[in-house]
Amino acid sequence: MNTNIETFKYDNRIVRAFAIATVVWGIVGMLVGLLAAVELFFPGANLNFQFITFGRIRPLHTNAVIFAFVGNGMFMGIYYSLQRLCKARMFSDFISWFHFWGWQSIIVAAAVTLPMGLTTSKEYAELEWPIKIAIAIVWVAFAVNLFGTIVKRREKHMYVAIWFYIATVVTVAVLHITNSMTMPAGWFKSYSMYAGVQDALVQWWYGHNAVAFFLTTPYLGLMYYFLPKAANRPIFSYRLSIIHFWALIFLYIWAGPHHLLYTALPDWAQSLGMVFSLMLIAPSWGGMLNGLLTLRGVWDKVRQDPVLKFMVVAVTAYGMATLEGPVMAIKTVNSLSHYTDWTIAHAHGGALGWNGFLTFSMLYYLFPRLYKTNLWSTKLANYHFWLGLLGMMFYIIPIYVAGITEGLMWKQFNKDGFLQYPNFLETIIQVVPMFRLRAIGGMLYILGVLMMAYNLYRTAKAGKFESDTEAQAAPLEKTPAVAHGKLSWHRMLEGKPMFFTVLAIVSILVGGLVEIIPMFLVRENVPTIASVHPYTPLEVLGRDIYIREGCLGCHSQMIRPFRSETERYGEYSKAGEFIYDHPFLWGSERKGPDLAREGGKYPAAWHYNHMDDPRSVSPGSIMPRYSWLLTQNLETDTLPWKLSALRRIGVPYPAGYENGPAQKDLQEQAEKVVADLKLGGVNTDPNKEIIALIGYLQRLGTDIKSAPVTTAAK
Amino acid sequence: MEEKIIGGMGGAGICGIISICICVVFFTSTFLWAFSLKKNYLNHMEDLPLDGGEKNSKDKNQPTKL
Repeated sequence: MNTNIETFKYDNRIVRAFAIATVVWGIVGMLVGLLAAVELFFPGANLNFQFITFGRIRPLHTNAVIFAFVGNGMFMGIYYSLQRLCKARMFSDFISWFHFWGWQSIIVAAAVTLPMGLTTSKEYAELEWPIKIAIAIVWVAFAVNLFGTIVKRREKHMYVAIWFYIATVVTVAVLHITNSMTMPAGWFKSYSMYAGVQDALVQWWYGHNAVAFFLTTPYLGLMYYFLPKAANRPIFSYRLSIIHFWALIFLYIWAGPHHLLYTALPDWAQSLGMVFSLMLIAPSWGGMLNGLLTLRGVWDKVRQDPVLKFMVVAVTAYGMATLEGPVMAIKTVNSLSHYTDWTIAHAHGGALGWNGFLTFSMLYYLFPRLYKTNLWSTKLANYHFWLGLLGMMFYIIPIYVAGITEGLMWKQFNKDGFLQYPNFLETIIQVVPMFRLRAIGGMLYILGVLMMAYNLYRTAKAGKFESDTEAQAAPLEKTPAVAHGKLSWHRMLEGKPMFFTVLAIVSILVGGLVEIIPMFLVRENVPTIASVHPYTPLEVLGRDIYIREGCLGCHSQMIRPFRSETERYGEYSKAGEFIYDHPFLWGSERKGPDLAREGGKYPAAWHYNHMDDPRSVSPGSIMPRYSWLLTQNLETDTLPWKLSALRRIGVPYPAGYENGPAQKDLQEQAEKVVADLKLGGVNTDPNKEIIALIGYLQRLGTDIKSAPVTTAAK
Repeated sequence: MEEKIIGGMGGAGICGIISICICVVFFTSTFLWAFSLKKNYLNHMEDLPLDGGEKNSKDKNQPTKL
């Protein structure tokens, strides 16, 4: 046994930096969310200012709360707990600060580019390619720091929290790289390498697992550390935590296709997504129960200690969200819930309850310890707790009502067999009061966060910051001692972090490979349709405007094979229709009607007037005005880059098409749109952005309208 | 018979069967592994978060103002 005790110091400055960033970005991200919520019932709230329209700030909100608020919260907790679990200072102070400033720079870059409309359109992966590269570099730096600390640890065993951190680091890297495969077409424009159905599968494999490995696994690791610390008693069952870990990371990765049920994704992939989602209930609830049962015998403390209060709600919200998620993945339930606000309620139950409350509990735990004092006001923290809980209820319950109302109204037929509510707008007007209530809930939640920020500030003012905490431990022995009897396979495994990491990677890759490889290799999965052809140059530019404005935040382009949908929108969507869609634009929610068969439904002048002022043609519409599209000139200089980039990833434009012929075709089609507009009494120039957007909208879904459908192997 | 049941699951076919088999093997191994661990090892692991090696640690008596 080693008797040389070493004295060393834990770095608290990096923990404080991430803690401050968590609070600041949390407030910013939630305020942006509140603005987006207000715009849903008061579309003029953007003051006709294009940079803060709903379509552009929705991704800003999601990115800010996921990557800025939860991201910084995760790093705060990991930097604090990892040092103490490893009994070692972080591997490199320089890397710690590079990580911190790199991450904050990425957040600032996102806050600038997303309102400018610079987006890939892929949910939770909207940032353009230079920022994606920066994310990869900063993430690798974090990984080096994490593994470096694990390697130089003084504690022989890796506690289960560290396993969750390792799984997070490696899986996020795999997900980010796979989903970021894009072809640049300029400094801040790129097209996904994948098309249509394949792009959808990769995106939702990423999207689902971003939830799993950015919002869930690191926070589970933090729960396994901070909950026993706050309760001052060990975790209920370490054995259960082992099963929880391996089962969760193995299963989660399979469940991505549940985001695409009843779409053009092949049936086998949908079934796998559904079955594995249901299986996820077991490990998720195992983890939740493990957390809650840790509090057995100390429930009296929960009544008094705000840290534990927030933790109990967080763990309970985790349990609720992980029960609801699998239920929503059942195809029958999903047929009602998909595209409705039910999904938004589900997401916010997890985000506000699980991530939000666990982050608050960590902040209330850490500040008094970092500043060597008591929390300034326990009473204020308790007010925050109740206000946050109330805000959450006011947010979630109306949105559940809205979601189920939407789903039922979309599907309702009258006794004559026609749609009861054929005008989509009727269904939205019905739920607008719920949107108002939701904004009130959001406001209460933010008010609570502001109270917390003040409480933490006063705590910091009252105490003295301890930048380094002195600690002592014996160095790690070179050869593993057999302290607890025979050295088991498990103990050998978690004693070798790199081998452990490889096993974790294999576990997460199995599910992804089983789903993704057949999708790319089996031709029958995407039968081609002879009449589907690439977008014209004008349509390419119009599609890019559609992406820039975030139209897919409210409009899907995927008609599911239900009578209620085919009656409302037309023929259901086929996988072969999307083979030139880089990226796919199926969307995930409907605040407006599906646009998959929009082409030719309305005259060009209707679209022109609708974009100028939606309420002039659809009274009661909640869509914002897009009047700048009528005045801004269409950017055509980038067209050669765009067509060339698309050709490189498989769109069959002829060689040299972008150098001349494309511009000529663009002008001809623009003139046609102008002529159509003239028929409707609208006079405008062919070089305006609205012309390209109308060109694109009038094309949507017309490929299989214009010619008989023929399928053939690609 | 299994093929008939799983095959009826919306075109799952051989992919579904392979997936279920992988899962059964994975879960059986995980359970066997977890239940083969020794009690004293588990006790040691459970206590790890409670001992951060800090000098003058306040964690055992938290300074919560009630």
